[in-house]
Formats: sequence, C-alpha cells, structure tokens
Amino acid sequence: MGKQFQDSTELNSPAAAITRQQEFVRFSRMLIGEHWAVMVLFALLVITGIPQRYSETAWAQFLIRCLGGIDIARSIHRLSGILFAALAVWHLVRVLHGVLFRNRSPYMIPTSKDFRDAIGTLRYYLRLSEDQPKFDRYDFRQKFEYFGLLMGGMVMIATGFLLYAPIFFTKFLPAFLIPVAKMAHGYEAMLALSVILIWHLYGAHLNPDVFPIDKSIFTGKISRERMEKEHALELERIEFAESLKDKEIIV
Amino acid sequence: MRTQLCFLAIVALIFGFGIVTVRAEDQPQFSEEVELCLSCHNDPSLEMELPGGTISVNVDPKIFRNSVHGEKLNCTDCHTNITDYPHPENHFKNRRELNLALYESCKRCHFDNYTKTLEGIHYHLLAKGDSRAPTCVDCHGSHEISKPDQPKSKISQTCKRCHEQVYQTYIKSVHGKALVNGGNIDVPVCVDCHQAHDIEDPRTNSFLLRTPQLCGQCHSDKILMKKYGLSTQVVETYLQDFHGVSTTFHRTEGKATNRWKAVCTDCHGVHDIAAVKDENSPVLKANLVATCRKCHPDATTDFPDAWLSHYEPSPSKAASVYYVKLFYKFFIPFTIGGLVLHILLHIWRIATNR
Repeated sequence: MGKQFQDSTELNSPAAAITRQQEFVRFSRMLIGEHWAVMVLFALLVITGIPQRYSETAWAQFLIRCLGGIDIARSIHRLSGILFAALAVWHLVRVLHGVLFRNRSPYMIPTSKDFRDAIGTLRYYLRLSEDQPKFDRYDFRQKFEYFGLLMGGMVMIATGFLLYAPIFFTKFLPAFLIPVAKMAHGYEAMLALSVILIWHLYGAHLNPDVFPIDKSIFTGKISRERMEKEHALELERIEFAESLKDKEIIV
Repeated sequence: MRTQLCFLAIVALIFGFGIVTVRAEDQPQFSEEVELCLSCHNDPSLEMELPGGTISVNVDPKIFRNSVHGEKLNCTDCHTNITDYPHPENHFKNRRELNLALYESCKRCHFDNYTKTLEGIHYHLLAKGDSRAPTCVDCHGSHEISKPDQPKSKISQTCKRCHEQVYQTYIKSVHGKALVNGGNIDVPVCVDCHQAHDIEDPRTNSFLLRTPQLCGQCHSDKILMKKYGLSTQVVETYLQDFHGVSTTFHRTEGKATNRWKAVCTDCHGVHDIAAVKDENSPVLKANLVATCRKCHPDATTDFPDAWLSHYEPSPSKAASVYYVKLFYKFFIPFTIGGLVLHILLHIWRIATNR
C-alpha cells in the first residue's frame, strides 16, 4: 500500500514534475490485481451464497437452477471462499512484510485525525462549517470500508470454514458453534452486501464527484484535479518530496 | 347346464314382473334389468368354467343392494360387454384376467380417479405385466363396494391385504397406535401420505424430496398440532437449516441427486415413527448421535448440539445463536442507516452548494 507515490516519481521525469504533474499513479498493479480478485470473488460468493439464505423463494431457486444446481453452486461458493481466504492471508502477509521489513508506511491505519475528519465532514455537510477537512492518501470513509471488508471478511472466513466441515471442527470445538456460525455467516453476508450495494455503489459510482465510475482502481491513475480535491495532504507530501529531490539537498 | 340357463332366462323374460312381485317379501327390489340378471346369478351354485379353474358368478342381491351402487347402477353399466343371453364367448384364462379386463369399467363414472391411477405405481406395475398389482375392484371390492374410508382405519386394512409388513410396522408407530387403539382419525393413514389413486413410487427422489411438505400438511397445521401440544415450527426450522435448504433446491431442480441430505423420515423414521419423547425415538437426545452417525459416521458425541432440535433460537434455547441474531438485528440497521444518512447529507450539501 505504501509504495505508490514512489512509483509516480519513477514514472514521471523531473521535467514533467516541474511543469506540474497532471496525472498521478494512485494504485500499483498489485493493488489493482487485489481489487479485481476481491471483486470477482465477492460477486461469486454473493451469487452462490445469498440464494441459499432464501432457498424458499422462486428467484433463489431460479438462480440456483441457472448455476446448474445447488451442488455446483455450493462447489463454486466453497472454492471462492477458499480463494477469498487465501487472498486475505496473502494481503495481510504482504502488508505486514512491507511494514516490518521494507519500511513502508501503512496509510490505511486509522488515526485520531480520521475521527476529527469525520466530525469536520459532518459539520461541513450540515453547513456548520464552510471548509472541508483535507485528506491524505485515504479518507476516513475509505478506511472505514477497508476495515469493514477486513473485519467482515474475517467473520465470513471463520464461520464459512466451520460450516464447510462441521464434523471436522466439532472434533475440537464445541458443536453449538455451528448454528452460531450459520447465523453469523448469513447476517454478516447481508451486512457486507448492503454496504457494497449502498456505500460502495455510491462512493465509487453514483457520487457526483466521480459519476459514473471512479476508474482509478482499474487504471491505477488519478487526475491532479481529484488529488487536489480529495487527497490534498498526499499531494503536498508528493510535491514536497519532489522538490527535495529536485534541489538535491545534501544536508 | 346351458339348457337350464336358457330355460331360466326365457322364463325370466316372460314372467319377469311376476317373479319380482312374488319375491318382494324376502328380496330387495331392483330394476327390471338387474332382476333379469339376478334371475340366474342369484343362484349360489352358479359357476363359470375357465381354463384356470371354475369361478363362482353368483351375486348376492342383498350384498349388492347394500353397496353404494345398489340403488344406482344396472349390471350392464359395469359389465358393458354383456348385453344379452347367451353371453358372448370370453377368452379369460382365470378370474384375474377377467378382473383386469374390467379395469376400464369404473372410468365411465369415476373418470377423475381412473386417470389418476394411470399415473400410479400400481398401474405402472400392471402395465409392465405384473398382474398382482391391484385394480379398482381389488381395493374397493365389486358388488359389495362401500365407502372406502368408513371408518378411517378401513383404509389401512385395505392396503394391509398386500402390504402386511408395512402395516405391522405402522400400527406400532405413534400414528398407527392412535388409529388402531384409540380410533383417532387425526392421524394419517396410508393414503394421506401415499395418495389413494395416483400413488407415486415412494423410493423415487421426487417423492422423498417432497417429504417436508408431506409431513407439513399436518405438522404445520396450528389448530391440529395445538390439540397434541406439538410445535408447528418443525417444517420451517427444518427448511431453514442446511438439510432443508438442500432438499428445497434438489426438489426444484427436478433432477436426480446422489448427494442426499436428510429429510424428516431420515431422522424420525418412516412407518415406524415414534413420539419424540418415546424412549425408542431415534431423535430422543440420548439416541440422537446414533441417528446423526447414519450419515455422518465421524460425528462426535457432542455433534448433535450443532442442531437446534427444531427450536427457534431464544434466550432459553440456543441463547448464543439468539444473541448473535439480536446483535445483527441492531447492528445492520445502525450501520446501513448511518451510511445512508451520510450519503443523503453529502447529496444535500452538493445540491445546496451554490
């Protein structure tokens, strides 16, 4: 997560930086790939999972028939779940490794500023203030969604595995956890789907600032205009680093 | 004998009316046609020679009179091939062949049920050449037809004639005991689960996958279940659980599955269903793990706790599940409400910015 603005310095020649860079690299190929993976897996899990929660409805039965039956749908669901769990492990190991051994900064970590930003934004929306807080690489809404996905993902992975192999897990875990897992898995799924359908759909598509779609997670690029508006602090940081580089300060 | 019969028939034709009046004292009255037939067939020694043996063709007027058709039908309404005397030649080898040939007779009036039988397992067997499979008269009788369900236990008795073993199991079950010992007519008899005419092969997937709906006919009937202090949540809780979800989808997929999931009868038994509190009940707590192991041989003794025994989670039953549910019931609206509010405020601010 922490190496993107460095990529941008490599990508853009010093000459371009002087004439004020108009486009920035926001996401590395790795992050673009991870987003694709989580997007596809999430969709597969929803399509094969939600009908199982509403098995008595005609639409769920129709959907499962289209998928080739419940046995196939469950196989897809379980395979996607395993891949989702693998992606989560991969992501966490990668981030931890970057932080611990490669001296990268994890910009997703919530700080006290995020809480002040949330209040500041609310005051701005309510016209109690005319200034919007300035954000760094990720604003509090993006951090909220990231940690929502992370925590929700943990719940889904843990309960999902319990439901996948109840006979195995009850050999060393109490059996009452199985219905608990089932209840949590179903409700957590509905929460995750609701957040994606309401919050992510708005943030990435319907939000007038980015309508019809915020392409930066696919192209990896973001315009200067949006950087100024949405990530002013990050822009300052990047340009300050640039200026240091240009002057080749040696002390 | 043929000349005797001929003579009798002619006498009957000439003196038909006279016979009726003479016999009015001790014999029931019938239409002219029936009387005509009875003039011969009333004779208890009347027999017909078939290659497979001699069969009686006597009809007891009293028995016929007391049957549901006694006042309604003439002989030729069913015996449509016989219109005159002498009767047309027949080529039946034995009584069974004669019975089978009369299979269509009931259709004229009972078209509905006749059509249903064509979809049933019995007709299917018959069509494949198994002449033991019953036709209308085998269950309902012929000249002595009475209401098939008066009393209700008569139905079980009828099926028992061929399905003796099933009957013996059934009368020991919670349903059978109540019917046979207590005369309870709330309990299901054979046809309540298997149907009377369009009897499906109960070993097929399509039949087995409808089991929850079948049991649900009674077990989700609130008034009926209240009478016996039974829960009506059993079907719904089953359908919401893993086994039930599987069954619902397999049923609607309409294709064979080799990944069988338990339906009601897999745990509770079929014809031997016992009361859940009965010490032999396979779903009694003490017996439950053995029942689970029928399909899950590796299940630990603790494993039955993974099943909520048809209870809806509540603070007293499966409290942990109940509180997880309660948590989400508040947490989801709270989170989504907050997010929606945030979005609306954002839109409002943009809309009013100028």
